[in-house]
Amino acid sequence: MRITEHPILGTPEKGRGVKFKFDGKEIEGFEGEPIAAALRALGVMVHRKTKRFGLPRGIFCAIGRCTDCVMVVDGELNVRTCVTPLKEGMDVRTQNAGGRGAK
Amino acid sequence: MKRVDAIVIGAGPAGLSAAIECAKRGLKTTVFDENSRPGGQLFKQIHKFFGSKEHKAKIRGFKIGEELLKEASAAGVEVVLNAVVSGIFEGKEALIRLPDRMIHRKADIIIAACGANENMVPFENWTLPGVMGAGAAQTMMNLHAVRPGRRVLMLGSGNVGLVVGFQLLQAGCEVLAVVDALPKIGGYGVHAAKLARTGVPFYLSHTIIRAEGKNCVEGVVIGALKDGKIVPGSEKRFDADTVCLAVGLSPQSSLCEMAGCLMEENPAKAGLVPIVNEFGETSVPGIFAAGDVSGIEEASSAMIQGRIAGIAAAERLGFISKDTLKTEAARLEASLSKLRAGMFAPQNRGKNLEKTEEGCPVSMNLLTRGSLDAEEIYLYPGARWPLLEREGKKAPKIYPVIECTQNIPCDPCGSCCPAGCILVDEAKITALPAIDEAKECAGCGLCVASCSGQAIFLLEKTGAACQITLPLEFLPLPVEGAKGAGLGRRGQRLCDAEVVAVKTGKAFDKTNLLTIKVPAQFAMDVRFFKEEK
Repeated sequence: MRITEHPILGTPEKGRGVKFKFDGKEIEGFEGEPIAAALRALGVMVHRKTKRFGLPRGIFCAIGRCTDCVMVVDGELNVRTCVTPLKEGMDVRTQNAGGRGAK
Repeated sequence: MKRVDAIVIGAGPAGLSAAIECAKRGLKTTVFDENSRPGGQLFKQIHKFFGSKEHKAKIRGFKIGEELLKEASAAGVEVVLNAVVSGIFEGKEALIRLPDRMIHRKADIIIAACGANENMVPFENWTLPGVMGAGAAQTMMNLHAVRPGRRVLMLGSGNVGLVVGFQLLQAGCEVLAVVDALPKIGGYGVHAAKLARTGVPFYLSHTIIRAEGKNCVEGVVIGALKDGKIVPGSEKRFDADTVCLAVGLSPQSSLCEMAGCLMEENPAKAGLVPIVNEFGETSVPGIFAAGDVSGIEEASSAMIQGRIAGIAAAERLGFISKDTLKTEAARLEASLSKLRAGMFAPQNRGKNLEKTEEGCPVSMNLLTRGSLDAEEIYLYPGARWPLLEREGKKAPKIYPVIECTQNIPCDPCGSCCPAGCILVDEAKITALPAIDEAKECAGCGLCVASCSGQAIFLLEKTGAACQITLPLEFLPLPVEGAKGAGLGRRGQRLCDAEVVAVKTGKAFDKTNLLTIKVPAQFAMDVRFFKEEK
């Protein structure tokens, strides 16, 4: 899903490759890119499940507005992954319930 | 509490332009923006802008963004990022949320350049991952170099839908269709034509019935609309993994409302906006609004509005005289009125225009399927030479065919031709480009690359064959000798075609010139090339 060569933008400038965890599994992304971009590049679509009905949510606005893409990052709930830069060793988890009492 | 002369909310095209004009005149100016990068949406805009040279026509949006940032830093503008302006209170006091704390700032001037929000439209399963705003798709592919999906269906045929649709193709995605509930394509015909010639179909008077899939989009079903209802049996399913919503923008004017500015619900401005005077000043003296927050328009107009507001702010605080403001604002307003003209001008929104300013008929084919019929081309002044040729009169060996058929504010083709073949009225840049028959086309191709709408093609007849030079902004670039299909304006295969030349050059700014050879009878029909191996 990554664009390696773009007709207008050329070769994308990316940070160094880093390892991080997604639901316990070690995967790779580029440092500094939004967590959501790293996940979409690997085909991850579901970022969380809604609290009452358990319905899947993913990237919707990609600019930090809609909060559809929030996940549990390093133990913190409701982190907007579309505007949170990826760091080496981050622990990113699908958020399976709303803000309080997440499981 | 820290004081500054002017607070600007939003570091997009309007906000940066306003801040630059303030700072240049000596106002201590701070811009707050909630994003981690300045530039607003400009850095996602990878297409060449329309307008005139003074509006930075034929320069790509992200380049304009870079220029603005340089100008702002040279002028001494302070830009604070990751800073959400949460409120404006009496006495021009602003409350700003930084990542780790809240701060207060007081100013004598506040310029709200908060931009717009994307509109959404609900349908069954619209919350499934894979349904996203067109802006979100643009962010993913143009800022983060990640494709939002593989097979995309675009809802909305306004300029956002058309431009993002094309950008999806450039990013290597497949665009399955552009769907719009309205009976006509909303954006520029030239943008639609760029999609249509690659084979993207348009479904007008259609809407999305539902998205399908368990955990993410696995398909989408559309249906035809009649009198606001789905026509039974008209359902059509697409094997899409992504649905992009480009159903308009709304001014993000809540801060203006909070500041006590008089507001109005104005359909021509696409929503709730502060009422402003000719300088963008709201009913609260010293509070200005510029850009999309005061009515949805293009970034080009937003930049001028921002500049006007910035200059007026300087006058309000006594940094410049009333006369200086009058002179400078008049120049900018003239520039703005050039952009606010033509078929897509705010005052023409929703109107049913049947003729161009020149009296040419507006093509219904263009408005309903994104492409002109070959026969229709001859009705427009940009096709003067093929018309003469068809009538058996003298035409040059090589000439441009300009498939620009709507009055939109744009004139780079008129100024780029070294031979002076192409005429666009300088005072009225919405005029359709015309041909000066007395001049001789040298075949340099600058017009092909300069046309922001990619609507100019060079034709050169050589016996039974014709060489067509067309603009190409896709990868991989075909090489000389490559064989494939000559596609028509709807993307349909018409004939065999062979690549004779591929020209890239700095002056073309990534719009490559692809020259293909096709049988002469297809000269006025082939407008795209698809390599076949």
